[in-house]
Amino acid sequence: MAENFEKHSDISAADLARLNQEAQAEATPSTAKIIWNEFKADKPAMAALFIIVGFIAFVMIGALFINTPKMMETNIMDYFDKPFTTDFWLGADSGGRSVAKQLIVGSRNSIGIAIGLTVISSTVGICWGLISGYFGGYIDWGMQRVYDFTMMLPMLMMIIVLVTIIPHYNAVSLTLIFSLFYWEGTSRLIRSRTLAETQKDYVAASKTSGTSNWKIIFQGIMPNISSLIIIDTTLSFAENIGVETGLSYLGFGLPTQTPSLGTMIANANDPTNITLYWWTWLPAALEIIVLCLSISYIGQVLRRAADASQRQGAAD
Amino acid sequence: MSLIEIKDLKVHYPIRSGFWNRITDSVKAVDGITFNIEAGETYGLVGESGSGKSTTGKSVVGLEKVTSGSILYNGKDITKRDNRRKLDYNRDVQMIFQDSLSSLNPRKRIEDIIAEPLRNFEHLSKDDEKLRVLQLLNIVGLDADALYKYPHQFSGGQRQRIGVARAVATNPKLIIADEPVSALDLSVQAQVLNFMKKIQREFGISYLFISHDLGVVRHMCNNIAIMNRGRLVEIGTREDIYNHPLHIYTKRLLAAIPETNVNQRVAHRASRLAVEKIYEEQQDKYYDENGMAYPLVQVSPTHSVALPETIAKQLASQEGEVQA
Repeated sequence: MAENFEKHSDISAADLARLNQEAQAEATPSTAKIIWNEFKADKPAMAALFIIVGFIAFVMIGALFINTPKMMETNIMDYFDKPFTTDFWLGADSGGRSVAKQLIVGSRNSIGIAIGLTVISSTVGICWGLISGYFGGYIDWGMQRVYDFTMMLPMLMMIIVLVTIIPHYNAVSLTLIFSLFYWEGTSRLIRSRTLAETQKDYVAASKTSGTSNWKIIFQGIMPNISSLIIIDTTLSFAENIGVETGLSYLGFGLPTQTPSLGTMIANANDPTNITLYWWTWLPAALEIIVLCLSISYIGQVLRRAADASQRQGAAD
Repeated sequence: MSLIEIKDLKVHYPIRSGFWNRITDSVKAVDGITFNIEAGETYGLVGESGSGKSTTGKSVVGLEKVTSGSILYNGKDITKRDNRRKLDYNRDVQMIFQDSLSSLNPRKRIEDIIAEPLRNFEHLSKDDEKLRVLQLLNIVGLDADALYKYPHQFSGGQRQRIGVARAVATNPKLIIADEPVSALDLSVQAQVLNFMKKIQREFGISYLFISHDLGVVRHMCNNIAIMNRGRLVEIGTREDIYNHPLHIYTKRLLAAIPETNVNQRVAHRASRLAVEKIYEEQQDKYYDENGMAYPLVQVSPTHSVALPETIAKQLASQEGEVQA
């Protein structure tokens, strides 16, 4: 059978290396290259990328050098110390605890939860949507009824109840509790696109080429909805920072001895803090604004990279 | 023995309605068709849009769930998924799609697209696989630098040739060509069709050529089946169909072929109108009381038509055919 091809084509094994080299020269740039070009063309997004990467790296590493239980000890002598001193860069709160150190550890906790939550909920949501949309029929019906059921549950109330009844919860268990509820939006979004994508001929062509269903789903269809996945994931990351922060602000997030961005913003509950002791809450609030803005800038670049007609970066 | 034997194939889609969403009726996309495809021939399947020809093609390649009937390949009924898997059926039966853009995964490079059936059925080494892809590209007249490009970087004709290369990759015995050129402009149509003919000569492949373009079918096919409302109305060789059409539907299709000879415009128009008049007046003669085609009746060794036996005989003698 191989002879059959040899006979009717004037290409033989000897030409392989040369032709391969020719083809490499003509190859289209890889996705990573396209994304990088797109960042280079958009200076604010480039700045946003450095802010995000630099900041996350800084708090992750910085938090390792801070002894959290010691930091969280109350020290009445430092009650609301002013910022910009050698002991307290960003001042101290009502317990005499350093705001700067709390900010580092709190950011680590909040961002860690947001990353964990995004990874878990997006993975589950994407798989759920892809499988449900691809197979259709009874599988789709069953999976969508599960979706409807979890959608019907009052999310915030369930989380608050779960947090209250679990005796010793920490960042990990909190992430898992959030993950129970936050996969839904993603799954419905992905499913709707998968339904449309499954009808296209290239899926039929993969089937007649003998490719298995799982390979078609994850190597055929998923790359084609990757722009949607990337945008949804970056935006839900920004949203997920808000989820933990909001709940901690209400007092149902992390335990009080664990600093987080939410507990720090909760300092603004007190009118005197807002007017007199601004350093207790303003840094955390600014940080959230900067993080979320940066993420959405990055998301825009990724969206443009995924859609050739919107690209601003150099072609090569 | 024929390469593929299709026996009384039916594909019905349920219509659900009412409060309980029960099946109240069905759309009979394909309603009991029977024909055989011989090795090395091009079998034409012709009909208007919605006549069920694409559904038939998809059933033969295993993409459509069959309601009843059987498709025999090597003596096995390949409408069952298990049999298809046991035979490595799609290694021998491949498909060329109508829309060349949507049938190539936009996120895959040409190498990966053409190598997909090879990876699943042949398990070649990396170098052998690349070599085979390069040979296939060469056979369909594309350069090696296509290897690492994406489908959107090619023109419609080039893409359809990539589709042909993918279908030929495992050296199949039958290729279902579902309107392979109807989305292409005329000069490119000829190019793709000639590549398909060349490949057929070199590799001894059979085609099931699905089309509504009778000009193209005449160029490509030895045997032709005419489909109407899910049933076959006429089967015959190219000569039978083009020179001695018996069923009114076939005559209408033939009358619809555009003529470029302007001198005879009036005469062509008159003959088209005559055919249309017969169709309007004699519908009940050609179709049964439900408006469906009759079962096929043989009028010569190669020619069958879906008419009651007496009418078929009468029409056949009018056309001056040799009686079977």
